[in-house]
Amino acid sequence: MRYSMTHRKSHNASARFAIKRSENRWLKGTQGHKLLGLSALMLAICSSVTWASDNAVNPIPPTNTCYVEGVSDRLNCGFVTVPENPNKPDGEQIQVHYVVLPAVKNVNHEEALLAIAGGPGQSAIDNAASFDSMLNKVRQQRDILLIDQRGTGRSNVLNCDAGPQSPLSFDDDNVDTLAEAQKCRDQFPDTDVTQYGSLNAVKDFEAVRAHLGYKKLHLYGISYGTRMAQLYMRLYPEHLATVTLDGIVPMQQSVLEIGSAIERGFDLLFKDCQETAACHAEFPELKAEFDQVVARLTEGPVMEQVHDPVTGEKSLLTLTRAKFYGAIRMALYQTNVRALVPHAIHQAAKENYQPLLGLYALTTDGAGMAMGMHASVVCGEDIHRITPAMREQAKTSYVGKTMLESLEASCSVWKVPPVDASFSEPIKSDIPTLLLSGEIDPATPPSWGELAMEKLTNAKHFVAPYATHGVAYQSCANNLVAELVRTGSVKDLDGECLKKDVRRSFYLNASSVEPLATEDATHSSKDKPSTGAKE
Amino acid sequence: MNKIIAMVRKELIDAARDKRSVMAGLYYAIGTPLIMCGLFMVLIGQLTSPDDLKISITNPDKAPDLVRFLSNKGITQGEAGAKDLKAIELIISPDYAKQMNQGKGAEITIVADNSEEKLQNSIRRLEKQLQAYSAEMGSLRLIARGIDPRVVQPLKVNVHDQATTDSKGGMILGIAIFTMIYSVFISGMNLAIDTSAGERERNSLALLLSHPLTTRQLVLSKIIAVGLFALLGLVLILLVSKVAYTFVPWQELGFSVSITSEFMALMLLVGIPVALMAACLQLFVSFMAKTFKEAQSYLTMVLFVPLALSMAASYNIAPDILQWLPVSGQQQALMDFIKGKDMNMLQLLVSTLGTLAIALVLAFGMEKSLKSEKVVFGL
Repeated sequence: MRYSMTHRKSHNASARFAIKRSENRWLKGTQGHKLLGLSALMLAICSSVTWASDNAVNPIPPTNTCYVEGVSDRLNCGFVTVPENPNKPDGEQIQVHYVVLPAVKNVNHEEALLAIAGGPGQSAIDNAASFDSMLNKVRQQRDILLIDQRGTGRSNVLNCDAGPQSPLSFDDDNVDTLAEAQKCRDQFPDTDVTQYGSLNAVKDFEAVRAHLGYKKLHLYGISYGTRMAQLYMRLYPEHLATVTLDGIVPMQQSVLEIGSAIERGFDLLFKDCQETAACHAEFPELKAEFDQVVARLTEGPVMEQVHDPVTGEKSLLTLTRAKFYGAIRMALYQTNVRALVPHAIHQAAKENYQPLLGLYALTTDGAGMAMGMHASVVCGEDIHRITPAMREQAKTSYVGKTMLESLEASCSVWKVPPVDASFSEPIKSDIPTLLLSGEIDPATPPSWGELAMEKLTNAKHFVAPYATHGVAYQSCANNLVAELVRTGSVKDLDGECLKKDVRRSFYLNASSVEPLATEDATHSSKDKPSTGAKE
Repeated sequence: MNKIIAMVRKELIDAARDKRSVMAGLYYAIGTPLIMCGLFMVLIGQLTSPDDLKISITNPDKAPDLVRFLSNKGITQGEAGAKDLKAIELIISPDYAKQMNQGKGAEITIVADNSEEKLQNSIRRLEKQLQAYSAEMGSLRLIARGIDPRVVQPLKVNVHDQATTDSKGGMILGIAIFTMIYSVFISGMNLAIDTSAGERERNSLALLLSHPLTTRQLVLSKIIAVGLFALLGLVLILLVSKVAYTFVPWQELGFSVSITSEFMALMLLVGIPVALMAACLQLFVSFMAKTFKEAQSYLTMVLFVPLALSMAASYNIAPDILQWLPVSGQQQALMDFIKGKDMNMLQLLVSTLGTLAIALVLAFGMEKSLKSEKVVFGL
C-alpha cells in the first residue's frame, strides 16, 4: 500500500489542506493509514480536526440538482464524458464529475471560479464545504465550480484499498513496498494508469468549462492544485481571468523535494517553541526530546496496549518511526493542531504516547486521497526529475529517504512514461496572478512561490508570516482572492492584513494553552519576530 | 364600439387635464419601490455584522490565544469611545487560565442588549466564534488524551435545503408583489372618483347620459379608462422595481431578489383582471357615494378588503382557503413563480375567474343603477 515517500509527502500536503478548513476526512480511521503516515506527499488540505467527521463518497446522480456533504444549498451537478486516453477518442470513456455552487447574486453569468483541490488525489467535491466557506465572498457574486479531477472522487477514482490491517498495530517499517504497490495496481486492472496525469486532467477541466458555457474562469489552486492551475495558464490562457496560487508547487520543482520543506517545518516548530516564553519554559529541551524519541523508535517500534481512539477497545499500538514522523508532520499542516505538537513530543519522551496516538488517529484515513491517481501523477511528472544530488540530499533525512524509496517502488509498478522536459519550464504569463505562501508551511515553503513568480509579469506574491499550508484558509487572504476576482487586477491588492498576529498558543499540558498566573510575567507570545508580507 | 372608443378618449383627456389628482396615484407606483429599496439598503447596512467587529474586551491578557482567535475572525478590541465600537462587552474571568489548566470551564461573560436589533447579528457572531473556539479546544483536548474527537459527535446532521437563492428572498418578494398589486388599486382610484362622483358633482354626468349612448357603453368606457390607468401604474412600478431592486445588496443577506422579464410579463397578464375588478369596484362605490368627498372615504374603506387579502398572502399567514380567493390567489401564484416553484394553475384560474366574476357583477350593478335618477343626480 505504501507507495513512496514522495507519495507520502503529497498526501500530507493534501491532508493539510483538508485539515484547515473542511470538516471531513481527517479522522476517518480505516485504510490508507500506512500511506498517509509516510508515503503520501500530502500536497493538499487537511480537514478541521475539530469537527472532523468521515466522509463517504456518495455517488452523485447525473441529474441537475444535488447536495454534497456539509453544504445545505441546492447545487447543480453533472459530468462530461471524455476518452480515458485523448489519443484514442473512441477507446475507453470516463466521466468527469463537477458541481457548481451557484452564486447568491450572479453578476456575471459568463464567469465562474474554478477551485482546484490538492493531493494529488483529493476530491474537490468532497471538499466543497471548506471551499464554500473559504470562498464565501466570491460566491456572493460568482458561481464556484468544483471538478473531481480524473482518478479522484466521483471521476473514476483510483483508490487503493489497504485491506483489513488495523492502522494501530500495523508495522509500517517492515513492509514490502513493491508488493503493496502491485496489490494496489491490481485493484484496477482495466485502467490505463498512465492517463491520469495533470496534462490530461487540464483538458478535462477545459472540457467542463466549455460544457458549462463559461467564457472565462478565475482559478484558485491549492497545493498540488497550483500545478493544475499553472498548466491551465500555459495551455488555455485565453479562458482565464485571474489566477490564485496558494501553497505553491512551481513547475520547475519536483514535488519530491518536499523532504527539505518538511525538515524546515519541523525546525520552525522547535524554533517557535523556543522563542515563545511559555512554551520554552514548559518544554526547554523539545528538540532533544524529539531526537530522543526518534532514537528510541529507530531501535524498533514501541508496542503498547492502548485504547483505540475511536472504539475505545483495548488494542495494540505499534508505534514506528514512520508513524511518529507522519503524525507530527501532518499535525504541522494546521495551526491549531500544531499547537499540540510540543506537548505530544514531550509526553512521548516520557513514554506517554496518548497525545501522539491522538495525532496519529487524525492521519489514518489518508485525507481522502486517491493513492492510485497520486502515483500516476507523481510517477509521470516528478520522479524522473530526481537528480543524484537530490537523492543524496534526500538520504540525509528519514522522511526524505523513506518517501523516495516508497515512491520508486510504486513507480516501478505504475510504469508511467515521464512527461516532456518542457513540462518543467516556468509559466510565462501576464494573467493577473496572486501567489500566497505561508511562512511556516511544512509542504510548500515561500521560496517555492518565488520560483513560480519567475516569469509571471502581472503577479504579486504575499507571504503570510503565521500561516501554514493553504493561506486563504487561515487568514484574510480569502478576502484578497475575492477582491482579485471582483476587480480582475492585482494592482490594488494589499497584503497588510496578512501580518495580523493570528498565532495559536502552544498547549502547555493536555488542557490549556494559557500559562498559570505566576508565569504570566514571563509569558509573552508577542516576541516572535514577524516576517513581513512581501510582494 | 366606436362610441366606446370615443368615450374612453374623452375620459383619458379629462384625466390628463386634471394632472394633479390623477398623477397622485401614479406617484405611488414610482415612489414605492424607490422608498422600499432605500429602506432596505439602510436596514441591511445596520442588520449585518460589520466585517470588522469592534467590541470591548475586559482582561484580554488573561486569554491571549482566544483574543487572537477572535481577531482572526474579525472580532477585535475597539478603542473606547470610537464610533464603530459596538455595545458588546466580553469579560474574561481573571481565573480563566487557572480554570483552563484545571480542565474546568473557563468563564467568559458576554454583556449586551439582545433586544437591540442592530446588535443581534453581531452578538450571534461572537457567540458562534466562542463556540467554535470551545469546540476546537475540546477536540484538541481529546486528541491529547488519545481519543478521536469524532466520538463526541454521535449525530451527523445533513441539511438539504430546498430553497434557492431566489426563494430565500420570499418575504421580500411577497412585499414587493404586494406593492405591485396595491399600485393596481391605487393608480386608478383618483380617476375613478373623478369620472363618477366628480362628473356628477360637475353636473356633466347627466349631460353625458343625454347623448345617444347606452348606459352599458358609458359604464364600459369608464371601466376601460380606469382599468388602463391601473395598468399604467402597474407597468410603471414594474419598470422602476426592475431597476431599483438590483441596487440593493441582497446577497449580504444570503439571497437575491431579481425582477425578471418573465415575471414582469406574468405580473402584467395576471394584473389585467385585477385591474378590471379594481376599476369596477372603485367606480361602483363612487357612484354609490353622494359626493366626491364621500366617495374618497368609502373607497378607502372598501379597498381595505382586497389589500388585506394580498397582504395575508404575502406574509404567508393566510389559511389555505385564501389561495382560491381573488387577489390573494393571484398573489400566491406570483410568489410561487418567483420562488421557482410550480404554480398551481387551478388556483390561479379559479381566483382569476372569481376576480372577473366580481368585476362583471359590479359592472351590471352600475349599469342598472345608472338608470335610476337617484344615482345620476346624487339624490
